[in-house]
Amino acid sequence: MPTLLELQVEFLHAISGAPGGSTFLQRTIRPSGFSPARRLAIYANNAEANYLASLRASFPAILRLVGEAYFNQCGRELRRTHPSRSGDLQHVGAAFPTYLAARHRDDAYRYLGDVARLEWLYQEALTAADHASLDLGALAAVPPARYEALCFSLHPSVRLFASPFPAHAIWDANVASAAEPERLDLDQGADRLLLHRTAGGIVFQQLKPGEWAFLHGLACTCGFGAAVAAATQADPEFDAVAVLHQLVHGNVIVAFALPLDAEQQ
Amino acid sequence: MPAHAGIGLRAQHHAEVLNERPAVGWFEAHSENYFADGGAHLDYLDRIRADYPLSLHGVGLSLGSADPLDREHLRRLARLSRRVEPALISEHLSWSSVGGTFANDLLPLPYTEEALRHVSAKIAQAQDLLGRRILIENVSSYLEFSCSRIPEWEFLAAVATTSGCGILLDLNNIYVSACNHGFDTQAYLEAMPRNAVEELHLAGHTPVIHDGRELLIDTHSAPVCADVWQLYQAALARFGEVPTLIEWDADLPPLAILVAEADKANSIREALYAHAA
Repeated sequence: MPTLLELQVEFLHAISGAPGGSTFLQRTIRPSGFSPARRLAIYANNAEANYLASLRASFPAILRLVGEAYFNQCGRELRRTHPSRSGDLQHVGAAFPTYLAARHRDDAYRYLGDVARLEWLYQEALTAADHASLDLGALAAVPPARYEALCFSLHPSVRLFASPFPAHAIWDANVASAAEPERLDLDQGADRLLLHRTAGGIVFQQLKPGEWAFLHGLACTCGFGAAVAAATQADPEFDAVAVLHQLVHGNVIVAFALPLDAEQQ
Repeated sequence: MPAHAGIGLRAQHHAEVLNERPAVGWFEAHSENYFADGGAHLDYLDRIRADYPLSLHGVGLSLGSADPLDREHLRRLARLSRRVEPALISEHLSWSSVGGTFANDLLPLPYTEEALRHVSAKIAQAQDLLGRRILIENVSSYLEFSCSRIPEWEFLAAVATTSGCGILLDLNNIYVSACNHGFDTQAYLEAMPRNAVEELHLAGHTPVIHDGRELLIDTHSAPVCADVWQLYQAALARFGEVPTLIEWDADLPPLAILVAEADKANSIREALYAHAA
Protein backbone atom coordinates (compact mmCIF):
# COMPACT_ATOMS: atom_id res chain seq x y z
CA MET A 1 0.00 0.00 0.00
CA PRO A 2 1.44 3.42 -0.93
CA THR A 3 1.92 6.01 1.78
CA LEU A 4 -0.22 9.16 1.67
CA LEU A 5 2.82 11.13 0.50
CA GLU A 6 3.70 8.67 -2.28
CA LEU A 7 0.13 8.64 -3.55
CA GLN A 8 -0.19 12.44 -3.51
CA VAL A 9 3.15 13.05 -5.26
CA GLU A 10 2.18 10.66 -8.06
CA PHE A 11 -1.36 12.03 -8.29
CA LEU A 12 -0.27 15.66 -8.49
CA HIS A 13 2.31 14.82 -11.14
CA ALA A 14 -0.32 12.96 -13.17
CA ILE A 15 -2.71 15.94 -13.23
CA SER A 16 -0.10 18.69 -13.59
CA GLY A 17 0.06 18.66 -17.36
CA ALA A 18 3.55 17.16 -17.28
CA PRO A 19 4.28 14.56 -19.96
CA GLY A 20 4.35 10.85 -19.13
CA GLY A 21 1.75 8.57 -17.61
CA SER A 22 1.87 6.95 -14.22
CA THR A 23 1.63 3.18 -14.01
CA PHE A 24 1.61 3.66 -10.24
CA LEU A 25 -1.76 5.39 -10.40
CA GLN A 26 -3.10 2.95 -12.97
CA ARG A 27 -2.62 0.33 -10.25
CA THR A 28 -3.84 2.55 -7.42
CA ILE A 29 -7.16 3.75 -8.88
CA ARG A 30 -10.12 1.37 -9.03
CA PRO A 31 -11.09 1.00 -12.70
CA SER A 32 -14.80 0.30 -12.01
CA GLY A 33 -16.54 1.42 -15.19
CA PHE A 34 -14.15 4.08 -16.42
CA SER A 35 -10.42 3.72 -16.93
CA PRO A 36 -8.15 5.30 -14.29
CA ALA A 37 -6.84 7.62 -17.03
CA ARG A 38 -10.36 8.86 -17.77
CA ARG A 39 -11.02 9.47 -14.09
CA LEU A 40 -7.70 11.29 -13.61
CA ALA A 41 -8.44 13.45 -16.66
CA ILE A 42 -11.40 15.01 -14.82
CA TYR A 43 -9.09 16.27 -12.08
CA ALA A 44 -6.43 17.32 -14.60
CA ASN A 45 -9.01 19.34 -16.52
CA ASN A 46 -10.38 20.95 -13.35
CA ALA A 47 -6.93 21.94 -12.12
CA GLU A 48 -5.95 23.41 -15.47
CA ALA A 49 -9.28 25.20 -15.88
CA ASN A 50 -8.96 26.79 -12.43
CA TYR A 51 -5.43 28.02 -13.20
CA LEU A 52 -6.42 29.43 -16.59
CA ALA A 53 -9.56 31.05 -15.19
CA SER A 54 -7.48 32.89 -12.61
CA LEU A 55 -5.10 34.12 -15.34
CA ARG A 56 -7.99 35.24 -17.53
CA ALA A 57 -9.50 37.20 -14.65
CA SER A 58 -6.20 39.01 -14.01
CA PHE A 59 -5.23 39.72 -17.63
CA PRO A 60 -8.39 40.66 -19.58
CA ALA A 61 -6.52 42.98 -21.97
CA ILE A 62 -3.95 40.33 -22.87
CA LEU A 63 -6.80 37.85 -23.39
CA ARG A 64 -8.51 40.22 -25.81
CA LEU A 65 -5.26 41.07 -27.58
CA VAL A 66 -4.08 37.51 -28.24
CA GLY A 67 -7.35 35.55 -28.26
CA GLU A 68 -8.40 32.68 -26.04
CA ALA A 69 -6.56 29.88 -27.85
CA TYR A 70 -3.12 31.51 -27.68
CA PHE A 71 -3.78 32.82 -24.17
CA ASN A 72 -4.56 29.31 -22.96
CA GLN A 73 -1.49 27.91 -24.73
CA CYS A 74 0.67 30.44 -22.89
CA GLY A 75 -1.18 29.74 -19.64
CA ARG A 76 -0.54 26.00 -19.92
CA GLU A 77 3.15 26.59 -20.54
CA LEU A 78 3.33 29.01 -17.61
CA ARG A 79 1.65 26.41 -15.40
CA ARG A 80 4.35 23.87 -16.23
CA THR A 81 7.16 26.27 -15.30
CA HIS A 82 5.32 28.24 -12.60
CA PRO A 83 2.72 25.99 -10.97
CA SER A 84 0.53 27.45 -8.26
CA ARG A 85 2.39 27.65 -4.96
CA SER A 86 -0.56 28.80 -2.87
CA GLY A 87 -4.04 27.74 -1.86
CA ASP A 88 -5.08 31.22 -2.96
CA LEU A 89 -5.13 31.15 -6.77
CA GLN A 90 -5.03 34.91 -7.07
CA HIS A 91 -1.20 34.80 -6.96
CA VAL A 92 -0.63 32.71 -10.07
CA GLY A 93 -0.45 35.65 -12.46
CA ALA A 94 2.66 37.17 -10.86
CA ALA A 95 5.05 35.43 -13.30
CA PHE A 96 2.94 35.98 -16.43
CA PRO A 97 4.33 39.42 -17.43
CA THR A 98 7.94 38.19 -17.31
CA TYR A 99 6.97 35.04 -19.20
CA LEU A 100 5.25 37.03 -21.97
CA ALA A 101 8.10 39.54 -22.19
CA ALA A 102 10.62 36.73 -22.63
CA ARG A 103 8.46 34.89 -25.17
CA HIS A 104 8.05 37.99 -27.34
CA ARG A 105 11.35 39.74 -26.62
CA ASP A 106 12.37 40.01 -30.25
CA ASP A 107 9.15 40.04 -32.22
CA ALA A 108 6.37 42.45 -33.16
CA TYR A 109 4.47 41.65 -29.96
CA ARG A 110 7.22 42.80 -27.59
CA TYR A 111 4.76 45.23 -25.95
CA LEU A 112 2.70 42.33 -24.53
CA GLY A 113 4.98 41.86 -21.51
CA ASP A 114 4.57 45.51 -20.53
CA VAL A 115 0.77 45.45 -20.98
CA ALA A 116 0.67 42.33 -18.78
CA ARG A 117 2.90 44.04 -16.20
CA LEU A 118 0.47 46.97 -16.13
CA GLU A 119 -2.48 44.58 -15.66
CA TRP A 120 -0.70 42.86 -12.77
CA LEU A 121 0.06 46.20 -11.08
CA TYR A 122 -3.64 47.00 -11.49
CA GLN A 123 -4.50 43.75 -9.67
CA GLU A 124 -2.01 44.59 -6.91
CA ALA A 125 -3.49 48.07 -6.53
CA LEU A 126 -7.01 46.60 -6.27
CA THR A 127 -6.11 44.40 -3.31
CA ALA A 128 -3.49 46.49 -1.47
CA ALA A 129 -4.12 47.54 2.11
CA ASP A 130 -6.36 50.49 2.91
CA HIS A 131 -4.88 53.58 4.57
CA ALA A 132 -6.30 56.71 6.16
CA SER A 133 -5.58 60.12 4.62
CA LEU A 134 -2.61 62.20 5.68
CA ASP A 135 -2.98 63.97 9.01
CA LEU A 136 -2.83 67.53 7.68
CA GLY A 137 -2.91 69.03 11.17
CA ALA A 138 0.20 67.12 12.18
CA LEU A 139 1.94 68.12 8.94
CA ALA A 140 1.09 71.78 9.54
CA ALA A 141 2.82 71.56 12.90
CA VAL A 142 6.17 70.65 11.31
CA PRO A 143 8.57 73.63 11.50
CA PRO A 144 9.51 74.86 7.99
CA ALA A 145 13.17 74.37 8.82
CA ARG A 146 12.54 70.61 8.99
CA TYR A 147 10.63 70.24 5.71
CA GLU A 148 13.65 68.89 3.85
CA ALA A 149 13.98 66.01 6.30
CA LEU A 150 10.34 64.91 5.99
CA CYS A 151 9.93 61.30 4.84
CA PHE A 152 6.56 60.80 3.17
CA SER A 153 4.83 57.44 2.77
CA LEU A 154 2.72 56.57 -0.24
CA HIS A 155 -0.67 54.82 -0.12
CA PRO A 156 -0.16 51.01 -0.16
CA SER A 157 -1.98 50.81 -3.51
CA VAL A 158 0.47 53.18 -5.26
CA ARG A 159 2.36 51.58 -8.16
CA LEU A 160 4.75 53.30 -10.59
CA PHE A 161 4.95 51.98 -14.13
CA ALA A 162 7.28 52.87 -16.99
CA SER A 163 7.35 51.42 -20.50
CA PRO A 164 8.74 52.46 -23.89
CA PHE A 165 5.30 51.49 -25.29
CA PRO A 166 1.91 53.21 -24.89
CA ALA A 167 0.85 50.33 -22.61
CA HIS A 168 -1.95 52.25 -20.91
CA ALA A 169 -3.53 53.23 -24.23
CA ILE A 170 -3.36 49.58 -25.31
CA TRP A 171 -4.89 48.43 -22.02
CA ASP A 172 -7.56 51.11 -22.16
CA ALA A 173 -8.56 50.20 -25.72
CA ASN A 174 -8.93 46.54 -24.78
CA VAL A 175 -10.52 46.71 -21.35
CA ALA A 176 -12.01 50.07 -20.47
CA SER A 177 -13.65 50.46 -23.86
CA ALA A 178 -16.12 47.93 -25.20
CA ALA A 179 -15.76 49.32 -28.71
CA GLU A 180 -13.52 47.69 -31.28
CA PRO A 181 -10.06 49.09 -30.51
CA GLU A 182 -8.69 51.60 -32.96
CA ARG A 183 -5.23 51.09 -34.43
CA LEU A 184 -2.52 52.29 -32.09
CA ASP A 185 0.93 53.50 -33.02
CA LEU A 186 3.49 51.73 -30.82
CA ASP A 187 5.78 54.74 -31.28
CA GLN A 188 3.17 57.23 -30.11
CA GLY A 189 4.92 57.70 -26.79
CA ALA A 190 6.33 56.04 -23.71
CA ASP A 191 4.38 55.54 -20.49
CA ARG A 192 5.37 56.89 -17.09
CA LEU A 193 2.37 56.16 -14.92
CA LEU A 194 1.13 56.47 -11.40
CA LEU A 195 -1.58 53.94 -10.45
CA HIS A 196 -3.45 54.20 -7.19
CA ARG A 197 -6.78 53.22 -5.72
CA THR A 198 -9.48 55.74 -4.89
CA ALA A 199 -13.07 55.26 -3.74
CA GLY A 200 -14.06 55.24 -7.42
CA GLY A 201 -11.55 52.59 -8.48
CA ILE A 202 -8.01 52.52 -9.85
CA VAL A 203 -6.74 55.84 -11.22
CA PHE A 204 -4.02 56.07 -13.88
CA GLN A 205 -2.08 59.31 -14.15
CA GLN A 206 0.60 60.03 -16.73
CA LEU A 207 3.56 61.65 -14.99
CA LYS A 208 5.92 64.35 -16.24
CA PRO A 209 9.65 63.61 -15.80
CA GLY A 210 9.88 65.72 -12.65
CA GLU A 211 6.79 64.10 -11.08
CA TRP A 212 8.17 60.66 -11.90
CA ALA A 213 11.52 61.43 -10.28
CA PHE A 214 9.79 62.94 -7.26
CA LEU A 215 7.48 59.96 -6.67
CA HIS A 216 10.29 57.53 -7.36
CA GLY A 217 12.33 59.33 -4.70
CA LEU A 218 9.47 59.14 -2.19
CA ALA A 219 8.83 55.47 -3.00
CA CYS A 220 12.50 54.77 -2.32
CA THR A 221 11.97 56.47 1.06
CA CYS A 222 14.22 59.41 0.19
CA GLY A 223 13.64 62.50 2.29
CA PHE A 224 11.48 65.25 0.82
CA GLY A 225 14.51 67.42 0.09
CA ALA A 226 16.31 64.68 -1.85
CA ALA A 227 13.15 63.85 -3.81
CA VAL A 228 12.66 67.50 -4.77
CA ALA A 229 16.31 67.71 -5.83
CA ALA A 230 15.91 64.65 -8.08
CA ALA A 231 12.68 66.07 -9.53
CA THR A 232 14.24 69.47 -10.26
CA GLN A 233 17.16 67.79 -11.95
CA ALA A 234 14.74 65.88 -14.20
CA ASP A 235 12.59 68.95 -14.83
CA PRO A 236 13.81 72.43 -13.92
CA GLU A 237 10.17 73.64 -14.00
CA PHE A 238 9.10 71.11 -11.31
CA ASP A 239 6.70 72.82 -8.88
CA ALA A 240 7.15 70.94 -5.60
CA VAL A 241 4.39 72.77 -3.72
CA ALA A 242 1.75 72.20 -6.40
CA VAL A 243 2.66 68.54 -6.86
CA LEU A 244 2.76 67.90 -3.12
CA HIS A 245 -0.66 69.52 -2.76
CA GLN A 246 -2.09 67.36 -5.53
CA LEU A 247 -0.60 64.12 -4.14
CA VAL A 248 -1.80 64.78 -0.60
CA HIS A 249 -5.33 65.65 -1.67
CA GLY A 250 -5.41 62.71 -4.05
CA ASN A 251 -4.57 60.44 -1.09
CA VAL A 252 -1.35 59.32 -2.81
CA ILE A 253 0.79 60.60 0.06
CA VAL A 254 -0.80 59.29 3.26
CA ALA A 255 1.75 59.58 6.08
CA PHE A 256 5.01 61.19 7.05
CA ALA A 257 7.80 60.67 9.50
CA LEU A 258 10.34 63.15 10.76
CA PRO A 259 13.70 61.63 11.61
CA LEU A 260 15.23 62.80 14.84
CA ASP A 261 17.75 65.56 14.09
CA ALA A 262 21.27 65.59 15.45
CA GLU A 263 20.37 67.65 18.51
CA GLN A 264 17.46 65.38 19.44
CA GLN A 265 19.65 62.31 19.01
CA MET B 1 -26.52 30.83 12.49
CA PRO B 2 -30.25 30.95 11.64
CA ALA B 3 -32.08 27.95 10.19
CA HIS B 4 -33.44 30.30 7.47
CA ALA B 5 -31.43 29.26 4.41
CA GLY B 6 -28.43 31.25 3.20
CA ILE B 7 -26.74 31.66 -0.16
CA GLY B 8 -23.16 31.81 -1.36
CA LEU B 9 -21.84 35.35 -1.71
CA ARG B 10 -20.27 36.04 -5.10
CA ALA B 11 -18.56 39.25 -6.21
CA GLN B 12 -20.98 39.69 -9.12
CA HIS B 13 -23.78 40.12 -6.56
CA HIS B 14 -22.02 42.40 -4.06
CA ALA B 15 -23.67 45.66 -5.07
CA GLU B 16 -27.11 44.08 -5.58
CA VAL B 17 -27.01 42.46 -2.14
CA LEU B 18 -26.32 45.83 -0.53
CA ASN B 19 -28.99 47.58 -2.56
CA GLU B 20 -31.71 44.91 -2.43
CA ARG B 21 -31.05 43.36 1.02
CA PRO B 22 -32.49 39.98 -0.07
CA ALA B 23 -34.47 38.04 2.55
CA VAL B 24 -31.95 35.26 3.06
CA GLY B 25 -30.84 34.05 6.47
CA TRP B 26 -27.10 34.43 5.95
CA PHE B 27 -24.25 34.49 3.45
CA GLU B 28 -21.31 32.20 2.94
CA ALA B 29 -18.13 33.69 1.47
CA HIS B 30 -15.19 31.77 0.02
CA SER B 31 -12.42 32.71 2.43
CA GLU B 32 -9.67 33.02 -0.19
CA ASN B 33 -11.69 35.56 -2.20
CA TYR B 34 -11.25 37.96 0.71
CA PHE B 35 -7.60 37.31 1.62
CA ALA B 36 -6.61 40.69 0.15
CA ASP B 37 -5.00 43.28 2.41
CA GLY B 38 -7.70 45.83 1.53
CA GLY B 39 -9.83 47.13 -1.32
CA ALA B 40 -13.40 47.05 -2.57
CA HIS B 41 -14.18 43.34 -2.09
CA LEU B 42 -13.28 43.46 1.60
CA ASP B 43 -15.24 46.67 1.97
CA TYR B 44 -18.32 44.98 0.47
CA LEU B 45 -17.86 42.02 2.80
CA ASP B 46 -17.69 44.32 5.84
CA ARG B 47 -20.89 46.09 4.82
CA ILE B 48 -22.78 42.87 4.06
CA ARG B 49 -21.55 41.39 7.34
CA ALA B 50 -23.04 44.39 9.15
CA ASP B 51 -26.51 43.18 8.11
CA TYR B 52 -26.22 39.39 7.85
CA PRO B 53 -24.61 36.47 9.69
CA LEU B 54 -21.64 35.14 7.75
CA SER B 55 -19.86 31.84 7.23
CA LEU B 56 -16.30 31.59 5.86
CA HIS B 57 -15.84 28.59 3.58
CA GLY B 58 -12.26 27.77 2.55
CA VAL B 59 -11.04 25.85 -0.47
CA GLY B 60 -7.27 26.24 -0.11
CA LEU B 61 -6.09 24.99 3.27
CA SER B 62 -5.33 21.52 1.85
CA LEU B 63 -5.95 19.81 5.19
CA GLY B 64 -5.58 16.32 3.70
CA SER B 65 -2.17 17.05 2.18
CA ALA B 66 0.82 15.07 3.44
CA ASP B 67 2.52 18.48 3.78
CA PRO B 68 2.56 20.19 7.18
CA LEU B 69 -0.26 22.63 7.92
CA ASP B 70 0.03 25.75 5.73
CA ARG B 71 0.67 28.33 8.46
CA GLU B 72 0.63 31.32 6.10
CA HIS B 73 -2.75 30.34 4.66
CA LEU B 74 -4.09 29.81 8.17
CA ARG B 75 -2.69 33.19 9.27
CA ARG B 76 -4.65 34.89 6.50
CA LEU B 77 -7.79 32.97 7.42
CA ALA B 78 -7.35 33.97 11.07
CA ARG B 79 -6.91 37.62 10.06
CA LEU B 80 -10.11 37.53 8.00
CA SER B 81 -11.92 35.74 10.82
CA ARG B 82 -10.93 38.45 13.31
CA ARG B 83 -12.21 41.07 10.86
CA VAL B 84 -15.65 39.65 10.03
CA GLU B 85 -16.33 37.42 13.08
CA PRO B 86 -18.03 34.59 11.14
CA ALA B 87 -20.58 32.34 12.81
CA LEU B 88 -19.00 29.33 11.08
CA ILE B 89 -15.67 28.49 9.45
CA SER B 90 -15.47 25.47 7.18
CA GLU B 91 -13.02 23.58 4.96
CA HIS B 92 -12.97 20.36 2.95
CA LEU B 93 -12.09 16.72 3.57
CA SER B 94 -9.64 16.73 0.68
CA TRP B 95 -6.17 17.79 -0.32
CA SER B 96 -4.94 20.12 -3.07
CA SER B 97 -1.17 20.34 -2.68
CA VAL B 98 1.96 18.39 -1.94
CA GLY B 99 5.55 19.58 -1.73
CA GLY B 100 4.21 23.15 -1.76
CA THR B 101 2.75 22.81 -5.29
CA PHE B 102 -1.00 23.32 -5.58
CA ALA B 103 -3.61 21.89 -7.93
CA ASN B 104 -6.19 24.32 -6.48
CA ASP B 105 -8.83 21.63 -6.70
CA LEU B 106 -10.52 19.44 -4.09
CA LEU B 107 -8.67 16.15 -4.59
CA PRO B 108 -9.86 12.87 -3.07
CA LEU B 109 -8.14 11.19 -0.13
CA PRO B 110 -7.38 7.50 0.16
CA TYR B 111 -9.55 6.34 3.04
CA THR B 112 -6.82 4.64 5.06
CA GLU B 113 -5.83 4.62 8.73
CA GLU B 114 -2.78 6.72 7.88
CA ALA B 115 -4.84 9.38 6.08
CA LEU B 116 -7.37 9.38 8.92
CA ARG B 117 -4.68 10.02 11.55
CA HIS B 118 -2.98 12.64 9.41
CA VAL B 119 -6.01 14.71 8.39
CA SER B 120 -7.52 14.53 11.90
CA ALA B 121 -4.28 15.80 13.43
CA LYS B 122 -4.08 18.69 10.95
CA ILE B 123 -7.71 19.67 11.56
CA ALA B 124 -7.10 19.60 15.32
CA GLN B 125 -3.97 21.74 14.83
CA ALA B 126 -5.88 24.24 12.68
CA GLN B 127 -8.62 24.45 15.30
CA ASP B 128 -6.02 25.05 18.03
CA LEU B 129 -4.39 27.85 16.04
CA LEU B 130 -7.73 29.44 15.11
CA GLY B 131 -8.98 29.05 18.67
CA ARG B 132 -12.30 27.61 17.52
CA ARG B 133 -14.04 24.58 16.08
CA ILE B 134 -14.31 24.32 12.31
CA LEU B 135 -16.61 22.30 10.06
CA ILE B 136 -15.30 19.80 7.52
CA GLU B 137 -17.19 19.13 4.28
CA ASN B 138 -17.38 15.91 2.27
CA VAL B 139 -16.39 16.44 -1.38
CA SER B 140 -17.61 14.98 -4.66
CA SER B 141 -15.24 12.43 -6.14
CA TYR B 142 -14.67 10.88 -9.52
CA LEU B 143 -12.41 8.02 -8.51
CA GLU B 144 -11.72 5.64 -5.63
CA PHE B 145 -8.33 4.35 -4.52
CA SER B 146 -7.67 0.63 -4.36
CA CYS B 147 -5.88 1.18 -1.05
CA SER B 148 -8.96 2.70 0.65
CA ARG B 149 -10.02 0.47 3.55
CA ILE B 150 -12.71 2.63 5.20
CA PRO B 151 -16.04 3.70 3.62
CA GLU B 152 -16.13 7.47 3.08
CA TRP B 153 -19.00 7.98 5.54
CA GLU B 154 -17.18 6.13 8.29
CA PHE B 155 -14.00 8.06 7.50
CA LEU B 156 -15.81 11.43 7.78
CA ALA B 157 -17.52 10.43 11.04
CA ALA B 158 -14.19 9.24 12.46
CA VAL B 159 -12.47 12.50 11.45
CA ALA B 160 -15.14 14.44 13.35
CA THR B 161 -14.82 12.23 16.43
CA THR B 162 -11.02 12.22 16.41
CA SER B 163 -10.40 15.90 15.68
CA GLY B 164 -13.44 17.37 17.41
CA CYS B 165 -14.50 19.21 14.25
CA GLY B 166 -18.10 19.62 13.13
CA ILE B 167 -19.46 18.31 9.83
CA LEU B 168 -20.65 20.36 6.89
CA LEU B 169 -22.66 17.80 5.00
CA ASP B 170 -22.90 18.58 1.29
CA LEU B 171 -25.91 16.63 0.09
CA ASN B 172 -25.17 17.21 -3.58
CA ASN B 173 -21.66 15.84 -3.04
CA ILE B 174 -23.07 12.74 -1.35
CA TYR B 175 -25.44 12.28 -4.29
CA VAL B 176 -22.76 12.85 -6.95
CA SER B 177 -20.32 10.42 -5.32
CA ALA B 178 -23.07 7.87 -4.63
CA CYS B 179 -24.03 7.88 -8.33
CA ASN B 180 -20.38 7.75 -9.44
CA HIS B 181 -19.35 4.95 -7.07
CA GLY B 182 -22.61 3.15 -6.41
CA PHE B 183 -23.20 3.57 -2.68
CA ASP B 184 -26.38 4.25 -0.72
CA THR B 185 -27.06 7.90 0.19
CA GLN B 186 -29.28 6.92 3.11
CA ALA B 187 -26.53 4.80 4.65
CA TYR B 188 -24.25 7.83 4.39
CA LEU B 189 -26.72 10.02 6.32
CA GLU B 190 -27.23 7.36 8.96
CA ALA B 191 -23.48 7.04 9.55
CA MET B 192 -23.17 10.72 10.47
CA PRO B 193 -23.13 11.48 14.20
CA ARG B 194 -26.31 13.55 14.71
CA ASN B 195 -24.80 16.28 16.84
CA ALA B 196 -21.77 16.82 14.62
CA VAL B 197 -23.70 17.99 11.53
CA GLU B 198 -23.87 21.77 11.83
CA GLU B 199 -24.43 22.88 8.23
CA LEU B 200 -25.90 21.48 5.01
CA HIS B 201 -24.95 22.41 1.45
CA LEU B 202 -27.25 22.15 -1.54
CA ALA B 203 -25.99 22.64 -5.10
CA GLY B 204 -26.38 21.52 -8.68
CA HIS B 205 -24.23 19.18 -10.74
CA THR B 206 -23.73 18.27 -14.40
CA PRO B 207 -23.91 14.79 -15.94
CA VAL B 208 -21.32 13.96 -18.60
CA ILE B 209 -21.27 10.91 -20.83
CA HIS B 210 -18.05 9.00 -21.47
CA ASP B 211 -18.00 5.79 -23.48
CA GLY B 212 -21.77 5.54 -23.14
CA ARG B 213 -21.68 5.77 -19.35
CA GLU B 214 -22.78 8.69 -17.20
CA LEU B 215 -20.61 10.40 -14.63
CA LEU B 216 -21.80 13.29 -12.47
CA ILE B 217 -19.53 16.33 -12.09
CA ASP B 218 -19.95 18.72 -9.17
CA THR B 219 -20.11 21.93 -11.18
CA HIS B 220 -22.20 24.18 -8.91
CA SER B 221 -23.69 25.52 -12.11
CA ALA B 222 -27.30 24.35 -11.99
CA PRO B 223 -30.40 24.22 -9.76
CA VAL B 224 -30.60 21.59 -7.03
CA CYS B 225 -31.99 18.39 -8.58
CA ALA B 226 -35.11 16.57 -7.38
CA ASP B 227 -33.18 13.66 -5.87
CA VAL B 228 -31.04 16.04 -3.79
CA TRP B 229 -34.15 17.86 -2.56
CA GLN B 230 -35.43 14.46 -1.38
CA LEU B 231 -32.13 13.81 0.33
CA TYR B 232 -32.51 17.22 1.99
CA GLN B 233 -35.82 16.15 3.52
CA ALA B 234 -34.18 13.02 4.90
CA ALA B 235 -31.25 15.05 6.27
CA LEU B 236 -33.56 17.55 7.99
CA ALA B 237 -35.51 14.69 9.53
CA ARG B 238 -32.30 13.17 10.90
CA PHE B 239 -30.27 16.23 11.89
CA GLY B 240 -32.97 18.81 12.72
CA GLU B 241 -33.16 22.42 11.50
CA VAL B 242 -29.53 22.69 10.46
CA PRO B 243 -28.39 25.92 8.70
CA THR B 244 -28.61 25.29 4.96
CA LEU B 245 -26.78 26.96 2.10
CA ILE B 246 -27.45 27.20 -1.64
CA GLU B 247 -24.10 27.03 -3.49
CA TRP B 248 -23.82 28.25 -7.06
CA ASP B 249 -20.45 29.24 -8.56
CA ALA B 250 -20.27 28.70 -12.33
CA ASP B 251 -22.76 30.17 -14.83
CA LEU B 252 -23.96 32.34 -11.97
CA PRO B 253 -27.65 33.25 -12.38
CA PRO B 254 -29.36 36.47 -11.19
CA LEU B 255 -29.50 36.88 -7.42
CA ALA B 256 -33.27 36.30 -7.47
CA ILE B 257 -32.76 32.71 -8.68
CA LEU B 258 -30.49 31.96 -5.72
CA VAL B 259 -32.97 33.54 -3.33
CA ALA B 260 -35.75 31.39 -4.87
CA GLU B 261 -33.67 28.23 -4.29
CA ALA B 262 -33.15 29.30 -0.66
CA ASP B 263 -36.91 29.91 -0.34
CA LYS B 264 -37.53 26.38 -1.59
CA ALA B 265 -35.21 25.02 1.10
CA ASN B 266 -37.09 27.09 3.68
CA SER B 267 -40.45 25.73 2.50
CA ILE B 268 -39.25 22.15 2.88
CA ARG B 269 -37.89 22.82 6.36
CA GLU B 270 -41.01 24.68 7.47
CA ALA B 271 -43.31 21.95 6.15
CA LEU B 272 -41.30 19.36 8.03
CA TYR B 273 -41.19 21.25 11.29
CA ALA B 274 -44.61 22.93 10.88
CA HIS B 275 -43.57 26.38 11.99
CA ALA B 276 -42.02 29.45 10.39
CA ALA B 277 -38.38 30.34 11.01
